Amino acid sequence: MRYADFTPHDLLLLLQGLGVSVALFAATTVIGLAIGLAWAVLRYYRTPLLAPLVAAVAELLKNSPVLVQLFLVFFGLPVLLETDLTPEQAALITLSGNTAAFIYVIAVSAIEAVGREQLETARVFGLSRWQTLRRIVAPQAAAFGLGPLTGLLVNQLQVTSLISVIGVVDLTKVGAILNLRTLKPFIVWTVIGLLYYLMARLIARVCARAEARLRAHSQWKGL
Amino acid sequence: MTFDLTPLAPYLGDLAAGARLTAMACALALAGGLALGIVAALMRTAASPLARRAADAYVDVFRNVPFIVQLFFLFYGLPEIGVELSAFSTGVLALSLAGGAFTSDVIRSGILAVEPGVLEAAQVSGLSRLAIYRRIVLPMALRTSVRPLGSVFVNLVLTSSILSAITLNELTGSAKIVAADTFQPFEVYALLLLLYAAMTWLVSLSAGVLHRRLNRDLG
Amino acid sequence: MIHIEGVTKRFGSHTVLDGVDLRVAPGEVVSILGASGSGKSTLIRCINGLEKLDGGIISVDGHRVDDPKQLQLARRCSGTVFQLFNLYPHMTALQNITLAPMEVLKVPRQQAEDEARALLASVGLAGRAAAYPAQLSGGQRQRVGICRALAMKPRYLLLDEVTSALDPEMTAEVLAILARLAADGTTMLFVTHEIEFARHISNRVVFLEQGRLLADLPTAQFFAADGGLAQPRIAQFLSKMSKS
Repeated sequence: MRYADFTPHDLLLLLQGLGVSVALFAATTVIGLAIGLAWAVLRYYRTPLLAPLVAAVAELLKNSPVLVQLFLVFFGLPVLLETDLTPEQAALITLSGNTAAFIYVIAVSAIEAVGREQLETARVFGLSRWQTLRRIVAPQAAAFGLGPLTGLLVNQLQVTSLISVIGVVDLTKVGAILNLRTLKPFIVWTVIGLLYYLMARLIARVCARAEARLRAHSQWKGL
Repeated sequence: MTFDLTPLAPYLGDLAAGARLTAMACALALAGGLALGIVAALMRTAASPLARRAADAYVDVFRNVPFIVQLFFLFYGLPEIGVELSAFSTGVLALSLAGGAFTSDVIRSGILAVEPGVLEAAQVSGLSRLAIYRRIVLPMALRTSVRPLGSVFVNLVLTSSILSAITLNELTGSAKIVAADTFQPFEVYALLLLLYAAMTWLVSLSAGVLHRRLNRDLG
Repeated sequence: MIHIEGVTKRFGSHTVLDGVDLRVAPGEVVSILGASGSGKSTLIRCINGLEKLDGGIISVDGHRVDDPKQLQLARRCSGTVFQLFNLYPHMTALQNITLAPMEVLKVPRQQAEDEARALLASVGLAGRAAAYPAQLSGGQRQRVGICRALAMKPRYLLLDEVTSALDPEMTAEVLAILARLAADGTTMLFVTHEIEFARHISNRVVFLEQGRLLADLPTAQFFAADGGLAQPRIAQFLSKMSKS
């Protein structure tokens, strides 16, 4: 019972857990963004074989639990590929893939929202598919996609909490450790919850500001 | 690299039992979440600022805190205040609370989408506020909400896998045991992925059918 | 008696009604004419309590609409028919009509349905009781709207540009019904752009211009050269309307 109380060391533990959660969230967001956008470009070009494959994979990732995806990668892949995976590696792979699937869907909707007439007009003017994408579609799609992106990011932050189940010492795992030791669930889980809540609000605020900046750029200020 | 599903055959019964538990928990949570969601949506569209703020706070918290943290809070916390619930009940409670937050968003949109003119016609004919909500607002809001509620339900089914973390042997929990017994985690979890995808697809399909049936007379 | 005294209504900095006085006694058929934006619809919406007054009093059979406790009683005395019909889309024509009588007046279901069917028959929609609004034409929807308002047996019928959203053929159907109601002695207060119709069935005409009452005269006098037409604004308005 000697260590059953909270100690200042626990603050350090919390910060470490927070750091792990944030790092994984940031890394998987960046990787997921890259992969998801690449998949959306494949769809834009209607690449045979790859585009429908990518669509199917995205559907599967979207419609299955992240926890199961984590188990598949952490427990299943090592057996299949006869290799070893650390919990952190498994978490990185799984969450990047999961994020990519949702980014893909948002990007596809955003591109579609830009409107067929614009694509057609660009083609008539002789722009290549790539030029159309880069100069006309992408900027507008970005504006459309930013709203849903905010929601996705907040959600994916919550999803990182599941990596604790496969042993990554993130914020949630630190919570579990503290809970087990101090047996004070109300305090522990409220603090953990509060930290996640604050991070979520921060993300929402940053995105809102980005959206405002993007909107300001595209506003017609008059002659 | 081999992918062999045959050793899993004797365990299909266990998986089926797990799936049944998932279905039960989700069905109960849907009912609970819907009830909570309707109340919260009504509060969020009420005239009283206190009601609005209280309901907004509820939704805010349950949307910005990870489900597993909410679950652990209840699972470890409730016994401390003398409330002893089974893992199943705790799971259903947690799913209902979280589900209610998301449901309230959907229903609130549905309520706000009711044409003001229709509301006015109800008001001038002398109907009480309660009658207007019961006979006009809620029936209309629910009809337009069926598809988005389907999405919320899909989310609920996927989130239910997290209940395995509090020792509940629903589908994911059962699968963990099977994976351990058969030493074939890849096959088991791959199958699980497909099973969940199939379940959510069924839910979306049903939502579509229900939506069409309820809205067929509305033009 | 609908008693409107010194009524003022503002939307932001814009004064829509400016000290309007009007009385409508049972049995009268009063039409309200005026340009768009003159405040006609707002006046109706003040009488049935959809808009709050910024000044003045409105009472319907003694019940003040600005008093929340009396508003429901005031509303029971009047029935409103809307320009955009505002039927409940998830209910059949019959259910639209029987809802308020059953919920508010506690009329038993069978009786409410019988009366509703009689009303539908009287407007030529006898076979359409089970139809949903989406399955009805504009003119049919408005006729259901009239039945719905009449089902509560109101003392006063308030009609807010009820044919403005209809094509000429449907307009004629609805106006025929309104003419019959007027002939049967229903008290009506209606806002309309149909000048000829107003002239034909109303016994009093009121003209609103920028929130003020420019005229409140018996019909014949209103349309007389030395009566309403003597006012330049009214003459200008009427000549424009008859050109269209």
